[in-house]
Amino acid sequence: MPIIFISSLPFGGGERLARRLAERLGYGFLSREDVVAKATEYGVPVGKLEVAMVKRPAVQERLARLQERYLAVATAVLCERAREGDLVYYGRAGHHLLPGVSHVLRVHVIPDPVQRLETAAQRIKLPEEKARKFLAEVDGDIRAWVRFVHGVNLDDPTRYDYVVNLERTSLENAASVLCTVAGLPDYQPTPASRKVMEDRLLQARARIQLVLDEALSEADLTVRASDGIVTVTYMPRQAHLAPRIADVLKDLPECREVRCTMASTNILWIQERFDPASEAFRHVTEVARRWGAAVELLRYAPEGPEEGEEAAPTPAPPAGKAEGGVEDDVAERPLPEACRLFRQTLAALVQRGQSGGAQVVSGSRDKVLGAISPTIPYSLVIVGDVAASKPAAVRTRATRDLAAFLGQHLKAPVVSAADLEQRLRIAPREWVEGAAALAVVLLGFALLFTYQETVLDLLGGPTHKRIPWAGPLLVATVAPLVAFLYGKVAGLILKAFKVE
Amino acid sequence: MDTLIGGMFPEIHLPMALAVVLLGFIGGVLSGFIGSGGAFFMTPGMMNLGVSGVVAVASNITHKFGKAIIGSRKHAQMGNVDKRLAFFMLVTALLGVRLAVWINSLLFKGAGGSGHGEGGKSPAADLYISAIFISILTFVALSMLKDALRPSTGEGPSRKIADFLGRLNLKPVIRFPVSDVELSLWVLLPVGLATGYLAGTIGVGGFIGVPAMIYIFGIPTAVAAGTELFLAVFMGAFGALNYAYEGFVDLRLTFLLFLGSLVGVHLGAYGVKVLSERVIRLSTGIIILLCVFSRAAAVPVYLAQLGKIRLDPALIPVCNGASTFLLFGAGISGAGMILYFVLKAHRERRRIHTTLAVPRTQAG
Repeated sequence: MPIIFISSLPFGGGERLARRLAERLGYGFLSREDVVAKATEYGVPVGKLEVAMVKRPAVQERLARLQERYLAVATAVLCERAREGDLVYYGRAGHHLLPGVSHVLRVHVIPDPVQRLETAAQRIKLPEEKARKFLAEVDGDIRAWVRFVHGVNLDDPTRYDYVVNLERTSLENAASVLCTVAGLPDYQPTPASRKVMEDRLLQARARIQLVLDEALSEADLTVRASDGIVTVTYMPRQAHLAPRIADVLKDLPECREVRCTMASTNILWIQERFDPASEAFRHVTEVARRWGAAVELLRYAPEGPEEGEEAAPTPAPPAGKAEGGVEDDVAERPLPEACRLFRQTLAALVQRGQSGGAQVVSGSRDKVLGAISPTIPYSLVIVGDVAASKPAAVRTRATRDLAAFLGQHLKAPVVSAADLEQRLRIAPREWVEGAAALAVVLLGFALLFTYQETVLDLLGGPTHKRIPWAGPLLVATVAPLVAFLYGKVAGLILKAFKVE
Repeated sequence: MDTLIGGMFPEIHLPMALAVVLLGFIGGVLSGFIGSGGAFFMTPGMMNLGVSGVVAVASNITHKFGKAIIGSRKHAQMGNVDKRLAFFMLVTALLGVRLAVWINSLLFKGAGGSGHGEGGKSPAADLYISAIFISILTFVALSMLKDALRPSTGEGPSRKIADFLGRLNLKPVIRFPVSDVELSLWVLLPVGLATGYLAGTIGVGGFIGVPAMIYIFGIPTAVAAGTELFLAVFMGAFGALNYAYEGFVDLRLTFLLFLGSLVGVHLGAYGVKVLSERVIRLSTGIIILLCVFSRAAAVPVYLAQLGKIRLDPALIPVCNGASTFLLFGAGISGAGMILYFVLKAHRERRRIHTTLAVPRTQAG
């Protein structure tokens, strides 16, 4: 059954609806207060963080780290409770804690304003007018918090599966409708969805373990988990921490490998079929080398994984007791080609010291967006070919559409793999332009220093006194021109030496 | 030192040209590292080489104007520029630049004397520029050192001033959607004026503009830096044209600064990646403080030239030498430290070429 997320503003009946729903379905109930209590136990001053995030939007390094720590605790608490049994969660757009998990039912509750005001006035013992003002302030703060923590608008209906308006629907009827909806096949768990949740849990646990360590609590680490492999990227200035990271994570439950990569920044590479022998791989790793970046792979199969390629084939425990005798050997199924190449690509990145982790997403473009962590500051998103089985024209269009879609929703620049190749290669035309720019700059220097007395006379001598506008005209023309041309030459030289 | 055009522009021989390129390079490294213009190093550096203060300021502001065009384009691509805010500030910022140019020109033309070192003709202008340098840079350096040495509280920059001004509700109040703030016009205008005045006087408007935008306006740090750079294009252009109209721009110095700074800035920017925020603030604070001491060492010479104090002529080369030594010492050791860490990071990266992968056999 799905995890049901009820989001609403306080005193609006959302919590009562969530509790009633849990009661009727026999689910467990978890509220944001429980998450906040747990986060406080782990040393996150949630109250202070809220004030800082809401009132002081200029996010500092340490504030961002606290935010990430809070998100890790919240994700871990949520995933652990969901693992124990079915769950209704009441909070503020909590479903954003589990991006990529499809067995969630996202419900937004619109309160009855009159009833909400009455409830608030009674509970906080304030006259109606003051209660109204109080609610307006609280609502503003909550909306700001959701915007800062999850990067979304709390009231945006496109972020929910159902919006319940309690102004016209009774709480009991709303619960009845949601009980029915929760049983629909659209929201039921799939192996792929469960796997994503397991990955999120492992990632969150790894993050918590890292921040609890004194030496690592202040480090800038990016944590990814997939298939039991935890990938941690750290900044070059924290190179001495790598062995410590591995040491801290050595007892992490359900982790089969820890990979630590030094990187100044992260590049996200989205594609359907990866190949370590491809030109695209060479180009992406070249950019990563220049920038000192880690490359995170996101394999996007719009139509779902191939036959025989389940996202996380976890062996089911034996149903009954072993009867004894000789059991048949289960032949290991060969991996589909695309999956094998994907793993090889990841292995090649690990070899190069450029791995930033990997994940697989299938379904709509929104799923891709949901899988991209808003807390990782990617400096570049590269979109390679998607719809690989389709004709070239369809492939090109699908890739272009995905790049445009992501470009609209992500802060990081998004480029297609084809554009990247163009940017890396120095075309003959660029050489010609560079040579021309260099010639003009050299000519400028030669003229300036050969005829310096004449130029200085124009800039500040007797000629300047006669024609005072000649100097400004010369400065306005020559200074930006030389800056532009010499900048172009310097850029080209740096590009040629691969150090830009 | 030999001079041209009535002693205003210095004769540039090869060693002097190389020294200016080096100044540009070190200034570029520091500017890429700090994220602000390197004028606090380049302008006094040129003065130490014998360039008159007003010519040093004018040539540097012309250099900065060219560089800011490229930098602000990159910030704009990242969405860090609030153009609406920049245009409102620009109104008074240009007045500030004009005021600065007017004061500098007045002091230069009105004063005599032989100038700092052997070149220049304006001890009054040099003294005035040095005094502004010393007061502003001391404030900036001490703030940076204080920030670097105090334990981090985890809270963002203080909004006490911004909140106080917000409560005053001085009409008209203007909304700036990119920065997500509402500001009174009466708060905007003086900040613009101060930024323009400092940009025009010493070429470091950003040292006041950026903190003011963060603490007084309450806008995000990245937007403050991007908007100031965007503003610097116009202030720089206006300042350069004004100084050129007054006849103080030496294009040779501007060109030589370009040669070093456009390369150095890339290396400095890389230094930010390999050093922690605290070390960046600490080292920047120390470098700026040394630049302050360097300027302070030259002040007695200007005062003596103006006849305000009596100074043993034997002490003049000592003061000049100390000033030059401190400035170049600060710049070279600062840039050297940044380049050392950049190279060390490169070596470290080569050493840890492969990802540290630790397989776990007893995974639960």
